Formats: sequence, C-alpha cells, structure tokens
Amino acid sequence: MTEFPLQSGERPAAEAPDDLADDPRFSADEPVSPSGPLRVVVVSAGLSVPSSTRLLADRLGEAVARDLGAAEVPVRVDTVELRDLANDIAQNFTAGFPGPKLTAALDQVTGADAVIAVTPIFTASYSGLFKSFFDVLDQEALTGKPVLIAATGGTARHSLALEHALRPLFAYLRAVVVPTAVYAASEDWGNTDGLNRRIDRAAAELAALLAGTGGRRAAPAADPLEEVVPFAEQLAALRVQE
Amino acid sequence: MQFGIFSVGDVTPDPTTGRTPTEAERIKAILRIAEKAEEVGLDVFATGEHHNPPFVPSSPTTMLGWVAARTENLILSTATTLITTNDPVKIAEDFAMLQHVADGRVDLMLGRGNTGPVYPWFGKDIREGIPLAIENYALLHKLWREDVVDWEGKFRTPLQSFTATPRPLDGVPPFVWHGSIRSPEIAEQAAYYGDGFFHNNIFWPMEHTKRMVRLYRNRYAHYGHGTPEQAIVGLGGQVFMRKNSQEAVREFRPYFDNAPVYGHGPSLEEFTSQTPLTVGSPQQVIERTLSFRKDVGDYQRQLFLMDHAGLPLKTVLEQLDILGEEVVPVLREEFAKDRPAGVPDAPTHASLRARARESADSEAVTK
Repeated sequence: MTEFPLQSGERPAAEAPDDLADDPRFSADEPVSPSGPLRVVVVSAGLSVPSSTRLLADRLGEAVARDLGAAEVPVRVDTVELRDLANDIAQNFTAGFPGPKLTAALDQVTGADAVIAVTPIFTASYSGLFKSFFDVLDQEALTGKPVLIAATGGTARHSLALEHALRPLFAYLRAVVVPTAVYAASEDWGNTDGLNRRIDRAAAELAALLAGTGGRRAAPAADPLEEVVPFAEQLAALRVQE
Repeated sequence: MQFGIFSVGDVTPDPTTGRTPTEAERIKAILRIAEKAEEVGLDVFATGEHHNPPFVPSSPTTMLGWVAARTENLILSTATTLITTNDPVKIAEDFAMLQHVADGRVDLMLGRGNTGPVYPWFGKDIREGIPLAIENYALLHKLWREDVVDWEGKFRTPLQSFTATPRPLDGVPPFVWHGSIRSPEIAEQAAYYGDGFFHNNIFWPMEHTKRMVRLYRNRYAHYGHGTPEQAIVGLGGQVFMRKNSQEAVREFRPYFDNAPVYGHGPSLEEFTSQTPLTVGSPQQVIERTLSFRKDVGDYQRQLFLMDHAGLPLKTVLEQLDILGEEVVPVLREEFAKDRPAGVPDAPTHASLRARARESADSEAVTK
C-alpha cells in the first residue's frame, strides 16, 4: 500500500482532537466573524498514525500560514483527520444524516475560507474514505472556495492521479483549485528539495488567492432555512393560475 | 392533540425467524393494525404510498375505505400521498370519495416521495420535484374549492369546464398536511395555504426538525393565518416498549440491526440518542415524546411508527395496547397542561365545516 508510516515521535505538532464535537474550535455554533482571521481547513485522509499524508498536510498548512503571515493576513489553520471520522462517515451513508462529530467537521469545512485536501492514492485514485467525506459534504459547500489538492503514495508513478481524479472532483464541486497539485512519494521524504519547492509553489498560489480577498472573509452562503424563496415567486416561476 | 400511527407498509423478513410474510398477510396485518388503532383509543391511522417492493400500499384509499367501514372515530390519513407523481385530479376525486365513505374522517399528508425511479415510472422528472408539488397542489386546491375548473399548467393536460366528482363532503375539502424533511420550499407552501406541516423527524436529529418547524411557523404568521404558535404542526415518532427498558432493548435490537433504512449503520444506542427513536419503558416513551414540545412548541399531531422492520403482527398489536393504555392517556393529559389558550387543535371535518358555516353566515350578514 501507499501509506508511509513515520517513526513514532516524528508526528507533526498539530494533534487531531479526540472528540471534535467537544473541541470549541469545532463548534458548529461558533459565530463566523467577517473580521476574524481567515480560516484554512486541512482535510487529511491518512490512515496510519502517524501518516505521511498528515505530514504532507501539515507541511502545506504551515507553508500557507507562513505566506499569509508574511503578507500580514491573519490566518488560522485547523485540521480535520478523516480517520477519526471513518465510522461516522460510513454511518452517514446508512442513516442519512451526520452524527454530531461529523456535523462539526462538515461545518468546519463549509465555513472555511480555503481548504487543503490531502489523500493517499489507493488503486489509482483518492482513497475511498477521502471520497466518502466529500460525498457527504453539501454539494454547495466548496463552491468558489480556493482548494489546494495534494496526495501521497509509495511511488511517483501515481502522481497524475491528482490531475485525473482529485482535480475533476473539486472542479465538479465548483471549487477554485490552485494550479499546482502536490504529490509526495515515499522517496521524496529522503530528498526534500523537489517536494519543498512544490509545497512552496502550491502554498504561494493558495495564499495569493486568499490575500487577493484583502484578508476579508467571504460572506457565508445564505441559509435556506432562514431565507426561503417566497411562495409567490415559486408560483410565478410556474405561472400557475391561482 | 391527536395521537396516531403511520405505517410504511414494508414487507420485511422477521430477522428472528427469517420468515417473510406474503403480500396478502402483510396487507391484512396493516388493516388489522388500523382497526386496532381505533380499539386502543388512538385518533389517526395513516398509510404510506409506495410503488416498489418491498412496500405494499400502492392504493391508499382502497385500504382506507375498508378501514372506514370498520371504524367509527378514527381519522384516516396518509403518510404520504405523492403529490408529484399522482394526477392531482385523481387525488381530488379519490379523497373526496373517501370523505363521503368515511363521513368526513379523512385528511391527507402530501409528500414528494424519495424513490428516484417512481418519477420516470409515472412519466415525471425528479428534478422537477418541487415545481410538481407546487403546481399539482395548486390544481388540487382549486378542484376541491371550485365546482367548474378551467386550468392550464406546465405539467398536466389543460382542463376546460372540468368538475371533480364527487364534490367534497359538505363542501369542505379534506385538511391537508404537507410533509417534508429537508425542503424549505414545502414548509413555505404549507405556510402560504395555512395548511398543516408535518415533519417526519424519525430519521433526523431534533435540531433540524426544530429549524424546519420554526421556518414554517414564522411563514404561517407572515401569510396572516395566525400567530406562529397557532400554526398546525405534526411530528413523527418511533418507539418500542416493554415493561422494563432492558427487555425492550433486547427484544427490539435484532429488528433495529436489520431494519431497512437504518439497519447495519449506527448502533441502537447512537440512533436513540440522535433521533426520536425510543426503545424502553412506557415511561421513557412518555418523557421523550413530551420533550418534543420543548423543541417545536405546542403541536397538534403525533404519529408513531410501530409496524416495520419485520415485527410480527402479534408484537405490533401488543405495542398498540401499551401505546393506547399506558402512554397516550398520559400524553393527552400532560400536553394539555400549560397549553396556551390560543393554540388550536388539528382541524377536523367537523371543525372545518363549522368554520365554513360561520364565514358563510358572516358573509350573508354583510350582504
């Protein structure tokens, strides 16, 4: 398989919280402040603990934070570990609704100003867990959102899966995917020059997109349960006789 | 407040025996369950409408007509009648006929249906689900209120000089509930007409139900039908009861674990904490059901799902005994406490007829 476990102790600093729902950062009710720091959410689908996917995810998050910091744009980077949500995601499919922990993660991605999506490559494509998360995410959640795509694998032979699988997925979701996609093969971890350059380039592209907003957060999408289309308009669209 | 049961009408193997009832057995069982609902003092029996196995009730008014003849007080309803794929002309006629057969003990709940292929099977396009619900109901509404209808819409053959027959009993159309789980457009539709809104919350977290009901209530007031508190709200529920809760959990677990819809997913414990499903003692069911009021306000109709997932008829009838004897009497009493004076009961044929006469009288006076 393509997952590349790290030695213990090598795991990067940011820990995935044990219980997303209990973590105030993941609270669905947290008000989205238009003037607060930009929120970058990293979605990592690595399976080992620790995983090379998470390592790449953290490197990308740090690089984006560094670039925005240099541009004096306040930013907060949070990580969603899909491994911790594997059962909840499967149960969303059978039950039809997300449990509290998954709801918190979905809300976090929906409320993000940018997303960094990182998956191991399994069987010539993104992992099933990675796809499943985006399957249960609202179809409009990523519309217009800057997204950086990245993947890990055992060999560089799978790197174009980023272009053939991930990029169309996010294009379908109407995300704005940055031009550089970052692939890290096992060998890249021993020869980080090329990988570092790709990380820096992709991060700079995402940071530029975000800095282009002047550091202002995008207005959250209208909540259909708060702003309903008036019935007269629904009728008028059909020109139904009253 | 009205209490009742709604049946999906699934033909499911009993996971404890592996035996699947025949269609004939299941249909007779549903009819027996409806009859039992009246015997144990419930107010409403509602049947689903499906056009694909493993569900049997494709023809609700046929079933409800039989139940009408065997009961005296039970309100016959649906959960739901497909407003998208049925011809609204046929709905108008079928339910007006049922009103006459049942002496007015009829209302219905409209829904769009969530089985994709049913749309093309009935010559419709699922992407038009909401517009179909809106146009078809606009026509249905008119057919029950105007004797001679000229009509042209987007989805149906135009009508010229058409009279739906029979006319609604006493000139009073059946009360309509609009059922929707996720679509604000349908809550809006219910509010616009001043009809009831039913949220079938049985597979959904209460937080979501609360928001949908709040939207409906606010829009009901917006359209001038009354205050938000006066809007007509119905909720689903799903329970399994035994004297003590361990016994209930032990007996229900195999049915839960293998149930169509939610089986093989979340555990019984997770599902009961995240949805209204309550498996336990009658007292636990009472407490859980009473808690719904905190989330949606005082409401008018509570329907329970009791016969599904392969539960044998004998067990379902026992459940109805417990519901009717130990649960509903307490719920009636408790829900009546602190219920604000302005909160109406769910409209019935009698109350709608009285209202129609009042407004006819006041019109006569002003003339």
